[in-house]
Formats: sequence, structure tokens, C-alpha cells
Amino acid sequence: MDPAMGMGLVALMGAAATVAGCSEDLESDIGSQSNPNSQVQLAAQVGYPHRIFNKAISGEPPSNAMYCAVGAGVAMVLMSESVMSASPLIAIAIGAFVAALLNGVFSTTSYLGRNASQTRFNQYVYLDVLRNQILSLMGHAYITTFCIVLISYVMWNQNLIGHPFPFPVIALIWGLCVGAIGSSTGDVHYGAEREFQDFKFGSGLNAADSGNITRFAEAGVRSSMDNAWFCSKFGGPATGIAFGMVVFLDNWRSTAFSGWTAVVVGVVIVLVLVIYNRKVETYARKKYGPFPEYAGDIEA
Amino acid sequence: MTDVTIVGMLMGNLPSIIGIIIGGLCIAVGVHFVPVGGAPAAMAQATGIGTGTVQLAAGSGLTGLLAAGYMYMTLSAAGTPGITEIVLICATGAVGAMIMISVTMLVGNWVYIYGVGVPPASAKKDYDPITGDSQAPYVAAGTVGQGLPTVCFVCGTIGGFLGGLGGSLIYCMLMWVNGDPAISSIFAIGVFLVNAVLPSYNIQGTIEGFHDPKFKRVPKAILACFIASLLYGIIAVTIPGIAMLTGGS
Repeated sequence: MDPAMGMGLVALMGAAATVAGCSEDLESDIGSQSNPNSQVQLAAQVGYPHRIFNKAISGEPPSNAMYCAVGAGVAMVLMSESVMSASPLIAIAIGAFVAALLNGVFSTTSYLGRNASQTRFNQYVYLDVLRNQILSLMGHAYITTFCIVLISYVMWNQNLIGHPFPFPVIALIWGLCVGAIGSSTGDVHYGAEREFQDFKFGSGLNAADSGNITRFAEAGVRSSMDNAWFCSKFGGPATGIAFGMVVFLDNWRSTAFSGWTAVVVGVVIVLVLVIYNRKVETYARKKYGPFPEYAGDIEA
Repeated sequence: MTDVTIVGMLMGNLPSIIGIIIGGLCIAVGVHFVPVGGAPAAMAQATGIGTGTVQLAAGSGLTGLLAAGYMYMTLSAAGTPGITEIVLICATGAVGAMIMISVTMLVGNWVYIYGVGVPPASAKKDYDPITGDSQAPYVAAGTVGQGLPTVCFVCGTIGGFLGGLGGSLIYCMLMWVNGDPAISSIFAIGVFLVNAVLPSYNIQGTIEGFHDPKFKRVPKAILACFIASLLYGIIAVTIPGIAMLTGGS
């Protein structure tokens, strides 16, 4: 392949990955999926009923892997000459739509099931919460799936990169990857900061305060849309940058270099990241200093 | 007659079975290096990445598998890859996984530092074994640490390296057996997940790396994963082989 074309494709994939990462994180923030869900689930049980959407379908990586594999599978069937030879863009759009419908089914059953089982804690099923937020969940899931299936198509197409893995398997792996990244990065902003905004910034969250989530917003009762608004300022874009960096750096080193040079370049990238992380850590320790409550060693 | 042929098939593919076992063991040990804090870490109540063990190990290892699969295809253009090529393919997969996990940990630290306002620290050790920084004063009250101090970051890259290496090695071995990227990739994902799930019983939700007391449980995981990988290796060799024996392609 022409090197300029290769780099263009890598840039396109990096851009699509950035959008996918951001929307994936916001989707999980709206639905309270993954680890922060433990607090949403716990809140009612410790006496704090709320109007936050609650859908722990599964961990983010398996659920996103499923949406992306379904999206790619549908797109592949539609593109096949024996079915309708659809244009790739339309096929990917329809595939992502089917995946979004799947997301809607899982989100609805999850919300209804979870909240119905918590009636004894005064946690009710709010149909307006379901109505208002289900479409935004599906919309974000659509964007994520569309971008990831697009990346997978670029990798799989024999005239472009020509990866040997089947189209849905590539989408499954990238879906797993974006879920793992979203769960590791952006969700912390939701789980550790937005869910506990009543506590002083930087004070840490004492395990004894688990479940005491912030239930009132800047105006009125807090909803999951408010959470998405807040997390879209930092957690979502950070996730997008992370996933974009993974897709871009990994593909860039194998496109621009080959053989052992690509391996060495990869090792250099990792070393730079380790050193940069150390710089950030030192900055934080100097900037914030020790916790004032510190009074001797804490037993692990 | 068929039994004899199956035994012969297993003996003929013994190097592949051994390779699958080695790959499985690499994944099992690698999972113990990945600093995961599970749900408590997502609330900044525990050191490590705020997600599950299997999910992060699989996310990084399989990203490496994508790079390794592409490299295998490139190198196999000149014939079936030998040991030298396999080393390069495994190195490519390992580095791909290291990049994924390093970027994730770095951005995770950004969120802890800039988004949550807490410095990375661990309560498992008084001093960071690599940098020597004191940890206890920087651990928030009522928690066992937060974020990823340098020792956890380095452990994470080692975990990514081993995971990517193991996944790529398994893929190469499966390609030796059946030569089909589709079957090999799906089987490799399966072997990867089996070997990532078994050690998570050791980890029980959180581990920080080699300095964590739970790391001493590695031998148990090695034994369990050895048995599982051996079984999986036999299945992986016989399934495509049986199709050939019964007249399938």
C-alpha cells in the first residue's frame, strides 16, 4: 500500500477511535454501567433512593464486544454479494442500528429488573427516567458501534489493510478493548467524582461513605443526563484520547515501520509513557501533598 | 484405526500443544502483574485500574493479538513461519499489548490526578519498591490507596507484555495446526479467556503487582492453567484434525 494512504487510514482510524471512546464512556455514565454501578445499586439499600439510571448488563468490555460483533456481523451479511451487496457505509450504519436496538433491549430489561427488585428499599421504577434516557443510551451505543465497526472494516478490507481475522472478530476485539479502556479511565471520573460531589474535592472517598451518592443536581433531582453533561467535560474525552492513542500508536508503528524496528519503536513508546507517568505522579504528590488526616502508617 | 490416527495427530502436533501450554502459562502469570482494583478502584478506594482483572488482561492481550495476526500474515507470505519468525510475531503482540495497557494506565492516572484530585499511592507498601517514595501519607483515609504509583505502572506493562506474548504464541501454534486465521483467532481468544479467568480466583478482585501479598499465589494458578491449557491444546489440535479425518476440508 502507498505509505501516504497507509498513514491516512491510520489517522482516520485514530479519529474514529477517539469518537468511539468518548461516546462509549458517556453511554456507560448515563446508564451507570460497570463498576460505578455498585454505588448506584447500593445507594437505595443504605437508605438513599435515587433517580439515576441503573443498568449493569455486564462489564463494559463484554457488552461492547457483543454490540460491535453484532454490528459487524450484520454489516458483513448485508455487504455479501449473495444477500444485497450493500455499500459498506450503509451496511455499517444498519449494523450499528441493530446493535443500538440490542442495547435498548438490554438497558430496558436491566433497568426494570434491577429497580423492581429494590422496591422494598423504596427504590421505584420511574417510567419517565426510562423514557428520557433510553434513547440517549441507544444513541451513544450507535455512535460507538458505528465507529468501531468502521475501524474494523478498514482493517479487514483486502484493498485497504487486509487483516486476516474475520470482520466480526476484529470488531469483537476492538469492542472489548474500548470497553476495557472506558471502564478503566472515564468511569473513574463518574464513580469517584461525580457520584460523590457532596464530598470535598480531593478528599478521597472513605469506604464508610459507600452508597451515599449525590442525588440532587445543580437544579432539582439529579438524573443520569446531568451525569453525562458533567462527564463529557473530562472523563469522556479522556477515554476518547486513550482509545484513540491505542489505535493510532499501535497501527502507526506497524504501518510506518516493519519487522523488529516496529517492535523497538513500540518499546520506546512504552518507555516514554512510563517516564511521563512518573512525571505526572511526582507533580501530583508535590501539588496535593500528604493527606492532613495522616497519623501514622495505615495497615493494608 | 481412528483412535490410532488421533494419537498420531496429537504426537505430530506435540510442539504446538507445548506452545499452547507455554502461552497459557505466560497469560496466567501476566494476569497477576496487571494492577486491577475492581469496583473499589473506580471509586478511588483501592490502588490500581478501576476495572476487572479478566477484562483488562483480555483487552490488552487481544489488542496485541490483532498486531500479531497481521504480522503472521505478512511473514507467512514467504512460507510457513519458523521459530525466528514466531519470536518476532510474539514480540509484536507483546508490544501491542504493552502499548494498550500503558496508555490505559496513564490516562487512568490523569483522571485520578486531575479529575478526582488524589495523588497515586498504595497502602500495601510503606515505600514504592521502585522509586522509594513514601506511600502511607498519600493514602486517603478509609481507603487502601488510589491511582497507579510507578511500581504498579511498571507491573502493568510487564503484565501486558506477558499477556500479549502468550496470546500471540497460542495464535501462532494454532496457525501451525490448522492454518486458518478465523479458527485460530477464535480459539486463541478462548484460550486467552480461560487462562485469564482461572488466575482471577487467586486475585479476588484486586491485586497491585509483584509487591502484593496475593502474588505469592502464582504457583497455584500455574498448575491450574497448565491443566486447562493442556486440555485446550488437545482439543485445539483434534477439532480441525477430526474434520480432516472424517473427510471434511
